[in-house]
Amino acid sequence: MLLCDFHIHTKYSDGSVELRRAIDLFGQAGFDVIAITDHVVNGDNSIGKLAHKLRLSVTAKNFDEYIASIKDEAERAWNKYEMLVIPGVEITKNHLSTDKSAHILIIDIKEFIPACLNYEQIFLEAKRQDALVIACHPHHTSDISRDTLFLWNNRDKYAKYIDAWEIANRDDVFNVISLKKFPYIANSDFHRTRHLYSWKTLLNCDKTAASVKQCIKNNKGVAITIFRN
Amino acid sequence: MEIFYFFAALALLGLAAYVLQIWAVRSCLMRKESCSPQSTIANQRLPEWHPVSILKPLKGLDDNLFDNLASFCTLDYPQYEIIFSLQDWNDPAHKVARKIKDKYPDKDISIIVERCNTGLNPKINNLLTAYKYSKYPYILISDSNVMVEDGYLKAIFRHMQNSDVGLVSNVIRGVRSRSIGSILENLHMNSFIVGSVCFLDRFLKMPCVVGKSMLMKKSDLEEIGGFEAVKDVLAEDYVIGKKMQKRGKKVILSNHLINNVNEYWGLKKFINRHTRWGKLRWKLGGAKYFSELLGNPVFLSCLPLIFCEATTAVLAFAVIVSLIKIIGDFYIGRITNADLNPIFYTLSPLKDLIIGIFWFIPLFSNKIVWRGNKYIIGKDTILTEYKNNRDASWRVRFVSMIRERFA
Repeated sequence: MLLCDFHIHTKYSDGSVELRRAIDLFGQAGFDVIAITDHVVNGDNSIGKLAHKLRLSVTAKNFDEYIASIKDEAERAWNKYEMLVIPGVEITKNHLSTDKSAHILIIDIKEFIPACLNYEQIFLEAKRQDALVIACHPHHTSDISRDTLFLWNNRDKYAKYIDAWEIANRDDVFNVISLKKFPYIANSDFHRTRHLYSWKTLLNCDKTAASVKQCIKNNKGVAITIFRN
Repeated sequence: MEIFYFFAALALLGLAAYVLQIWAVRSCLMRKESCSPQSTIANQRLPEWHPVSILKPLKGLDDNLFDNLASFCTLDYPQYEIIFSLQDWNDPAHKVARKIKDKYPDKDISIIVERCNTGLNPKINNLLTAYKYSKYPYILISDSNVMVEDGYLKAIFRHMQNSDVGLVSNVIRGVRSRSIGSILENLHMNSFIVGSVCFLDRFLKMPCVVGKSMLMKKSDLEEIGGFEAVKDVLAEDYVIGKKMQKRGKKVILSNHLINNVNEYWGLKKFINRHTRWGKLRWKLGGAKYFSELLGNPVFLSCLPLIFCEATTAVLAFAVIVSLIKIIGDFYIGRITNADLNPIFYTLSPLKDLIIGIFWFIPLFSNKIVWRGNKYIIGKDTILTEYKNNRDASWRVRFVSMIRERFA
């Protein structure tokens, strides 16, 4: 089984760890597959504008540099640790109301997707790029400020676009995903080194981006585990 | 003011002891070992490189684990095997060990997963399994948080050319600090620990073996009772060194520096380790433990701030002592080629204050928590299981507390 984490932030957005150090941290711990998913924040409201001002978001301007850095590091990670690193982003639609907020992981992204597009546009653009769409922390979390409930509240409309839902994120488990029988994965939402020890996904597939994506989409041979020292 | 003079005198004594420690480190590292990698013993004959079994007890993820383990796969040594020994299939270190084995298919690497509950010391339990599967007459015990250079094994094995030598250990430096806990840990490793080990070795000729690297001959280890003899001992490294010396074998401190990687430690881990080590030294040294306080001049110089008025003279004295300590630590860092950022040395007095405060704990508590297990530590660091009788009546708890205290 491949030990995987598909939700990792670096200093490209609000993570506290530089990209290279994040790669080493996961490589040294024996991970097989990770995705770097820094925030792409909506700039169409005051919260988003502040995030842009504080440089807590990947932007259209630095997206190419971001992807190039991940690709360089992916090569190093493969040569040194045989760890597959997939580029991604976390589309971050933040609003004052948690009911209106949503975070979406786009795994294996190739071109920039602005967070201010509407949901259908984002999902369709992700599909066009053959990227994976994951709904992040979709239900109530232990930290109320991280709640993003929009996708769950509108699941009847959007579930068809979503390849998998986070059934566990860091220390939280969302049993509603299981009850609805939605496809699932578990991630750390890594921002600090201590977040290494959190929920993870185990996949029974080959160590290639295509196989990993297919395995998550089919949601067969997927298990979750809490990674502890 | 008398109190101030008293503590000032103690602090000055401490500074003098510290200068001796620096001297010991310097002379230890500058010592031209007849067994240095570049030379053979008195250039008389070529060294014989006997095959060595490297025993690596693994438990959990240490910082930099992959690179630490990988550094043993590129050793410049003719014949050796590496045995990664674990107690649990679900240990996260198991996956890292497997990756290392896959990365170096041409190396003689075994991964042994076998539960062993022979003793109370979990490291010894792990080593007992590894030892059982080792095939060569020499064993090297190496902790998983140690990273070495290619010439390491040759550098230490040269000492074994002398048949009087029973054990070779190394001078250790803490490297890679990326968090406050690891900065304090590496500052302490690179000042107090390295200073004390070298001081005991150079001036008192006392073996102070640190278990991060121990090279021995199997036959010598068996003569002192093998690992079974220390299965319930917390300071197994120190006790093995003592037993070797008692049997007339030399215990050598090699000046080949090895790296102890401490990257992402929290403050709690730092305090926990040094409280544990303090309890260990208190149980081993008894009254000698009090001399350790003398080795902490910063703490001593700050005590008058509590016991008498904080006058300019008192403050100035504490600041001057702290500055001298910073310079001293920086100097040791330079001669040991430590990779600490020079700015971090300014935290040295803070570290000494924390160590000074926690120095008292061993006098009042003999309970330790090590790798998730709770023990009571007795004389000569003999462990007994800690029984939590929180639910028992206060009389039972009181009696068991008294028993534990005198264990």
